[in-house]
Amino acid sequence: MLRKPLKYTFAAAVLFPFAFLLALSFGQNWRFPAVLPATWTTDNWHFLLAGQSDLGQSLLRSLGISVGIATVATGLSFFTAKHIAYHPWRERWLTVAYFPYVFAPVILAATLQFYFLRLGLAGKVGGVLLAQLFIAYPFGVIFFTGFWNERMRAMEQLSATLGGNGWQTFRRVLVPAAKGALLVCFFQTFLISWFEYGLTSLLGVGKVQTLTVKVFQYIGEANIFYAALASVLLVLPPVGLLWVNKRVLFKT
Amino acid sequence: MALFLGLTALPLAFGIGYSLLHSTGLAGIGSEGFTLRHWGSVLTGSEFWRSLGFSCWVAACSIGLALGLALAAVVRGPERWQRGILSWLIYLPLTLPAMVVAFLVFQTLSGAGFASRLVYRLGLTGGIEDFPNWVNDPWGVGIIAAHVLMATPFFIILFSNLYQNERLGEYAQLAATLGATARQSARRVVVPVLLRQAFPTLVLYFIFVMGSYEIPLLLGSQSPQMVSVLTIRKLQRFDLADMPQAYVIGVLYTVFVVGAVVFLLRKKSGERSLV
Repeated sequence: MLRKPLKYTFAAAVLFPFAFLLALSFGQNWRFPAVLPATWTTDNWHFLLAGQSDLGQSLLRSLGISVGIATVATGLSFFTAKHIAYHPWRERWLTVAYFPYVFAPVILAATLQFYFLRLGLAGKVGGVLLAQLFIAYPFGVIFFTGFWNERMRAMEQLSATLGGNGWQTFRRVLVPAAKGALLVCFFQTFLISWFEYGLTSLLGVGKVQTLTVKVFQYIGEANIFYAALASVLLVLPPVGLLWVNKRVLFKT
Repeated sequence: MALFLGLTALPLAFGIGYSLLHSTGLAGIGSEGFTLRHWGSVLTGSEFWRSLGFSCWVAACSIGLALGLALAAVVRGPERWQRGILSWLIYLPLTLPAMVVAFLVFQTLSGAGFASRLVYRLGLTGGIEDFPNWVNDPWGVGIIAAHVLMATPFFIILFSNLYQNERLGEYAQLAATLGATARQSARRVVVPVLLRQAFPTLVLYFIFVMGSYEIPLLLGSQSPQMVSVLTIRKLQRFDLADMPQAYVIGVLYTVFVVGAVVFLLRKKSGERSLV
């Protein structure tokens, strides 16, 4: 049994990173040995989000890339997983889907850089989207393979027996049954893309500035207050998705 | 299936294919014709082996520490992670990207970081120079700390779900009925089942830590470097002679990782099939 002080210590440890980042994002002038910044101000937020820097653009770019990846990867992997799940070589195909995870994403990017340069995809949003799809799509395939089970096949057959055509079965039977799984996969692939740094920075050659690339840039410039602010922006969507996951999905 | 292969196996095949060609002097800027010189210099030099050893060290320490903490947390109070405030809070650390965790660890554990400031205020150190060197250090303490922060909540969730799905509470009660103490039931029943069921995930997480990039990039030292950082450093150097070596390291690392995963997971499935 965890005793109460231990429980509160754990809760404090979990919340500390979020409080620390938020505090730093409102801070200025944090010299050793001061425990807290000497100046508290909203200037960092005003400067970075009021159009005086390109952080707002990076935020929108990251959102666009991640929503795009989540939509395409979820949609494509949903159908691919069906073929794999009912295929006699199911296990072999699934092993192939694990390959991109065994290969470190940044090393994969390094080995593909030549092709991206030759095809004119390096430094382009399209190139980053394609590269992130190499990671997000196999995840979706692995995720949905469990969904396409004997029960789903029986439901499809029942729908066909009752006169439903392929489209009706898909719209009226499969999509409602897969709603929760589709949402979870969308969230997960969104996060895979949202958190991605190595592959994006290498194949984006610094021109596709997503939020993770921005955080690294601010850290490199030793601007810890802007780095903390960009980190807060980076953490907010996942926390929101977690809340939705817990509130909506696990209650229905 | 064509789409599936095109987005999974094909990029890997093309990537490894180009790496082999570049590393043997058959492709790339300044290619000199077939040569095994770059392979020889990587395989006989110490840099790659030190990097591989360091990556294994970091992964082993990170997984070992996180595993110990997570097992202790779940075995001592499994129900706490299923309902109540902790069951929600435990998911929060998973929302932190590796880049942000590395930044936090740097700002907390570096010489001028938050921890150093606190211990200075408490009179335990006389300044930055008295604080231990935990960031950008040769032992990878900062890297390990960052990975432990990321892995512990993940393992707690994993073990907590396994505890429930495998109905380990009932087994523990049965063991107690048969006279086992709480410690004996944890050591002989609960922990072995949790480790056995989680083994494939632990192997994959080990590989994930070995191949991590952002955390060692921010918190690692110049030497030794983790494999991903070493590969990218060699690839981005101005010296073109280093590029083929980067591809050699990429191929060697992939062979090592695929070999380790196949060996460990096959061995485990073989053991399982015998039971």
